[in-house]
Amino acid sequence: MSDGTTLDKPETEDAELRLERRADGQLWAVLGARAAPVWVRRCFPWTAPARFVSLRDGDEEEVALVRDLDELEPDSRRALEASLAEAGFVLEIVSVESVEDEIEIRTFAVRTRQGPRRFQTLRDEWPRPMPGGGILLRDVAGDLYLVRDPAKLDRASHAHLWPLLD
Amino acid sequence: MTERTSAGNADAGPREARSAALRADIAILERYTDQPAALPRALRASIERRFLGRPVQIYALADLDASLRLTETWLALGARELAVASLQGDRPEIRTFPRSAVKGVRFEPGLTCNVLTLLGEPGEPALARLRFTHRQRRAMENVQFALEQDLEGRAVEAEDPDALYAEGVAGPIRDAQALVAGNDVAVLWRLLGYLRPYRGQVAFGMASAAVLTLLSLVPPYLTGWLIDEVVRPVQAGTRGLADVRETAWWIVGAIAGAHLLRQLCAWARLRWMAILGEHVARDLRTELYEHLQKLSLAFYSRKKTGSLITRVTADTDRLWEFLALGVVDVSLAVIQLVGLGAVLLYLDWKLGLVMVLPIPLLCVWVYVHGERMNELFLRAWRKWSRVTDVVADTIPGMRVVKAFHQEQREKGRFGERNQAATDEFNRIHDTWTSFWPALMLAVRAMIVAVWVFAVPRLLGPGEAPGTLSSGTFVAFLLYLTMFMPPIEIIGQIARIMNRATSSAHRIFEVLDTEPQVVDRSAAVRLEPVQGAVRFENVAFGYDGVRQVIRGVSFDVKPGEVIGLVGPSGGGKTTVTNLIARFYDPTAGRLTIDGVDLRDLDQGHYRRQIGMVLQDPYLFHGTVLENITYGKHDASLDEAVAAARAANAHDFVCQLPHGYETLVGERGHTLSGGERQRISIARAILHDPRILILDEATSSVDTETEYKIQEALDRLVAGRTVFAIAHRLSTLRRATRLFVIEDGKLTEQGTHAELLALSGGTYRRLYGMQRQLTAESGSQGEAALEKEVA
Repeated sequence: MSDGTTLDKPETEDAELRLERRADGQLWAVLGARAAPVWVRRCFPWTAPARFVSLRDGDEEEVALVRDLDELEPDSRRALEASLAEAGFVLEIVSVESVEDEIEIRTFAVRTRQGPRRFQTLRDEWPRPMPGGGILLRDVAGDLYLVRDPAKLDRASHAHLWPLLD
Repeated sequence: MTERTSAGNADAGPREARSAALRADIAILERYTDQPAALPRALRASIERRFLGRPVQIYALADLDASLRLTETWLALGARELAVASLQGDRPEIRTFPRSAVKGVRFEPGLTCNVLTLLGEPGEPALARLRFTHRQRRAMENVQFALEQDLEGRAVEAEDPDALYAEGVAGPIRDAQALVAGNDVAVLWRLLGYLRPYRGQVAFGMASAAVLTLLSLVPPYLTGWLIDEVVRPVQAGTRGLADVRETAWWIVGAIAGAHLLRQLCAWARLRWMAILGEHVARDLRTELYEHLQKLSLAFYSRKKTGSLITRVTADTDRLWEFLALGVVDVSLAVIQLVGLGAVLLYLDWKLGLVMVLPIPLLCVWVYVHGERMNELFLRAWRKWSRVTDVVADTIPGMRVVKAFHQEQREKGRFGERNQAATDEFNRIHDTWTSFWPALMLAVRAMIVAVWVFAVPRLLGPGEAPGTLSSGTFVAFLLYLTMFMPPIEIIGQIARIMNRATSSAHRIFEVLDTEPQVVDRSAAVRLEPVQGAVRFENVAFGYDGVRQVIRGVSFDVKPGEVIGLVGPSGGGKTTVTNLIARFYDPTAGRLTIDGVDLRDLDQGHYRRQIGMVLQDPYLFHGTVLENITYGKHDASLDEAVAAARAANAHDFVCQLPHGYETLVGERGHTLSGGERQRISIARAILHDPRILILDEATSSVDTETEYKIQEALDRLVAGRTVFAIAHRLSTLRRATRLFVIEDGKLTEQGTHAELLALSGGTYRRLYGMQRQLTAESGSQGEAALEKEVA
């Protein structure tokens, strides 16, 4: 969507960047007199989630790159954090009730921080090890499930996940 | 639109197929997810009351709330209204808006949370922000599409909103899993049904196996009898040697005979069942491959090639193993254990109980060990896949590794993963090497227990009650050695069955899939096809809602060359797919020489169609076999003439074996331009009446492009041609150009006519390409100018 004024890249390097969420929930980047609706992309969603956030317009062109959230003034930071919360959201597993292998899929029944969930992964799609020792599971629809620290799971949950852990 | 739901809209069959598909999708939702299989009935009724009785036309679930907790919020569209219904409390909270209040729709994808915002007037708060996981995305995109079409003044209504929702949510699970074949028991019965044509052989094989099992019980029994009735009485002096000599030799002969007969049965069983298994595997492979040839392209776009190859090869092979060995082994293991138990209890029930009672425990122990090994293997395979990933990464990329001098790093990466995999395999070895000796120890302990119970009775006076004869005891010892193999097999029953039913599921899924494009009962053959192609308000979509082609109408005369141009994703390739009848239109009519394409005999019609694609596919075989692929009876003269016309003859002659040079898998021993020219030769020899060229020259250098273009010019003569090209200069021979954008035919005419259209798409695209060519050098500019001229 590019229904606002587009920001020239060189200008974003110099002018002070302000971010605001408008009435319709859209995040806008404001640079001086210019403003543009933007979407956020974390460059390093797992190793540096609060750094290097790319602000992009509807054509996926980079409007500005926020190197560190601390560089923003508080209101802008809050607006960006609200957008990042949605864009970077993943379900977080807190316990595992069962893991069952079927013909070509593996079914997980889990409790997530967001509520109970049953999901399926492909049997040959292994969890992705995360920085800090967690694992990330991706289900057949593309949803992501984070186990932040497998060692802190209860014993039964850990036993269910054990074949998939390092 | 999927394979199962779209076999056309003219017959009753598809309705049944759609309802079966809906049932299957609902079953998936109920079995694999926690979410409702449809908009709850009471909620739907409440919403429809607010819609003044108008039905819900399409709906989706938003499963995340504003604080990103899992929830149940429904977005439902009626003819004039839409509703957002949240089910968090006891009573649903329903908000409704007129559809006309929606002034825009915004979709924001996230890692797991997607947001669909329904926009009101500019500057006003959004009407609704719906957050949902990817699981709901397909269903939500359907709603989004309907709203966007609404904004463009086009009404979209789903034929069956429940089916659309269920298909959207269940789709990813269904595509990942072979489900159509039913439960495991049904699958197993169906699989055993393939043995029916070989009843006689099955009966013979099973009978041999049964006799083999029973015969194996005979020698220990006879041995015991020989000791008690012959050896001991002679040693005790109660019977004379002369009396028993003949009996003794008869028993020894009987033991030898039992062993001989046993091995004969073993041979018969192995041979018959192995050959039988091969027959069944061959039948399955043939049926599967023949069925795969019938299936439409939609099926192949859903399933991975590797998965289908595995089904034809590895899965059928696994079923051979099951039918040839597994069925018999499992049945006989049970028979043997029961038989052994019965014989032991018959010989001496007290001693028999010592052996028989622990058997169920041993079976459970073997089973538990098997489960543990499955877990360990899972870990090991995971680690092993990381090892193979490194190898698969670095070997093809060795030039890069060396160029950046990263050999040490790669060695380290490989070494680390190799060690991790080795550790897992060693863990497996630790487990099984501990288990089997422990199991053997348990069996030995049982044997010792037999001794412990037997010795006092062996030492008792011969005629006293409870005394155990030496013969019975020896027979016991011999039977004890026969316990282990059936226990091992019974412990593996679950694994054997699981492997077999998994393979059967995958195979039956393909066999149960109906082709999307089917011939009608009185299919017409056009003799010959003239090549007149007419689209009458044709619409087509790959799923139930989104139309990729919308109301396209045109009339092409035989021999015309039509250039299809337009932005990527606009629908050009879909138009050619419809002409080739890879799919049937969802609305409107497509005629060839005035006959509805759905009335034509597919096989006969396709013989009149030729295709030259951007990435030409060559089969493993000789150059000659590839050129004559569509006309096997072509003479060598014809093949050479086709190759000459395709500008392929010269480079083929330079190949070491000329026309008999083997081209590698997918033709990879040849360059892109060479492969393309062979595919053109193939099309020339095929002599189609309607020719489709899809970006035939897009990925080759200028010189090769010139040769290919020259070959194509010869190929198109006298045929109806539809040519897709992004490089507009390659369409200079086109009699007319069709601009396809957003599924619609927006412009048509000659090159000059379209250039004269002020603000036209073709004019814009042509201008952009001309500018790019000019920027890339005067040579390109000159060439383009020449072509335009």
